[in-house]
Amino acid sequence: MFGALFGKECKQILKSLVYYFYILVLALFLSTQLKNPDWIEEIEGPKPNQEHYGMKETHDKNVIMGHTLASLTEEIGRESFSTYPYGFYKGVAPTKDELATMKKIIESCTGKSWDRILEEQEKYYEQFDMTDMSSSIMASENYQVKPREDLTYADFQKNMERVTKIIGKGSYYEKESYESGATVPMSYEEALKEYETMRKHDRVTGAYMRLFCDYAGIMLAFLPMFLGVTRCLRDQRAVAMQVIHAKSVSSAKIILSRYLANVFMAFLPVVLIGFILQLPYCYYAHTLGFQPDYFAFLTYPIVWLLPEIMVVMSLAFLITEMTDKIFVVFIQIFWMLAEEFTTVSLAGHFGMRLALRWNTIGATQDYLAQRQDLYWNRSIYTVIAVLLIAFCVVIYEKKRKEGESLYAKIFKNRH
Amino acid sequence: MQKYSKIGISYFKGQYLPHLAVTLLFCLLSVCFVSFRNLELMQSAKILEMYVSLAGIFLMTPLLMPEQNVEIWQLEKSKATPMWQIYLVRLLLSSVLVAFVYTAFSLALEINDSAFLWDKMWICGISELFLLGAIGFAVSAITNQVVIGYMIAVIYYVANIGGRKYFGGLALFQMMEGKYDFAGRMFAVGIAVIVLSILIRERQK
Repeated sequence: MFGALFGKECKQILKSLVYYFYILVLALFLSTQLKNPDWIEEIEGPKPNQEHYGMKETHDKNVIMGHTLASLTEEIGRESFSTYPYGFYKGVAPTKDELATMKKIIESCTGKSWDRILEEQEKYYEQFDMTDMSSSIMASENYQVKPREDLTYADFQKNMERVTKIIGKGSYYEKESYESGATVPMSYEEALKEYETMRKHDRVTGAYMRLFCDYAGIMLAFLPMFLGVTRCLRDQRAVAMQVIHAKSVSSAKIILSRYLANVFMAFLPVVLIGFILQLPYCYYAHTLGFQPDYFAFLTYPIVWLLPEIMVVMSLAFLITEMTDKIFVVFIQIFWMLAEEFTTVSLAGHFGMRLALRWNTIGATQDYLAQRQDLYWNRSIYTVIAVLLIAFCVVIYEKKRKEGESLYAKIFKNRH
Repeated sequence: MQKYSKIGISYFKGQYLPHLAVTLLFCLLSVCFVSFRNLELMQSAKILEMYVSLAGIFLMTPLLMPEQNVEIWQLEKSKATPMWQIYLVRLLLSSVLVAFVYTAFSLALEINDSAFLWDKMWICGISELFLLGAIGFAVSAITNQVVIGYMIAVIYYVANIGGRKYFGGLALFQMMEGKYDFAGRMFAVGIAVIVLSILIRERQK
């Protein structure tokens, strides 16, 4: 019975215009975003005497202090601070007294006068051609203001708290922000080690599929919702609700067969597109002389994207069955916007994000260090999805018995 | 005139209020994500174009929700008042609300000492809200499914975040680049899209 219902639901989905829009949008988006030929160079590995080997994260406290003080020096010089209080950029212009206080903080942390720090900054930037973009970026990334030798990390943190009190919420001088890791340039040996890790662990296709999951995750944070809403409202449009409600089949079977069919049909195009886009990278792996991970197109989306689809779909089912309206569209759009504008990193720092970002090809060692967080995140979202759909079954059963949704009960006397 | 005001009030009270409530909630929640104080011009533009513009989708896309039920649609068609006049009343109502919401946010920016150019940003911003709303309205009119209208309008918005170069003169977020010459274009396309979609819809049986 359940299998028959599942099959029927899948056939219904194949007749839905919304489903074909879903596939079209997903395919267009992924094919346009994932066609950068420069990624092949990263897969081919570093060569000696290159100008730049990329950056690596470091949690070395001295480096963190150096980078943070450098950022503070530059922003004091510009008399403007970048903050992201709730994800949106806000420029803060401190008063003269506040600037003077922050200069004293820098002097206290470095043991040098403000004028001396500015002289050293000028000498540092003279080494670079600041009219060349890559050179100016490298200069900015590598600039550090060294703390004095006897400055303890605890004292540094107290000083940064003082800065945060002056500037306000969302600045770079909050602990979570500056401790998310400063970056330092990689040497040729480090870049080679990173490349070997990528070859051994990712076998090329794994690195590519992480990037695929990054982009696909952006769209899957809201697209599956439309499938869920359409399905839940279909009974209303077809005036079939009372017929279905009269059947002997349990609410659990009805909801679960619909839900699983929608999750399956939403996931299927993701896997197919992943398979097609992975093919060139399988070929490149062979030309580089090693075996790719042929199943990366399946394993990565199952872990990375399937829980996302499940939770978006289950939320759509629950809210739509509760209200018989499309309110979940607003909720999901809001959630998607909130995530988009509160992104602190485009690679990792997963936390409890719905759409996990890894907008780089490779960085395998970083990924391996954060992989546990990813598994935790996806496990929690899978549990949330299961709880939401279980609650949806309860709501649906109540709706069957009482003949109307919760929303209709509250608003039924309004004309 | 009385007939049209009755049409508008009936739709407003019977169908539109939940969507208005959601839009109001969306506006109120903005304080959790957006800072209105002491913003430079580009920062003001970002708030208006990336956050407030979604209000256009919320206000204009659901205008054809009652007619999703084909029986109601056929009943309305059988009446003396042509359907396009009913749609026009709803569109005018929603357009006024779009302008109202945008003006409220513009005033919020000005009151909080943020940069805002009334002579350029007011009309340009409203045109963006109108275009997004028109896309949602048009798609829901042609397909008779409001969900697809929301879907396409939201996808248009999201696609502009990473792929603005593909949309040319109809790309969103142009004020963030200091461009203010697109209002006429967006209004014209929005109106054309709405008119075309109503014509297509009325030819459907």
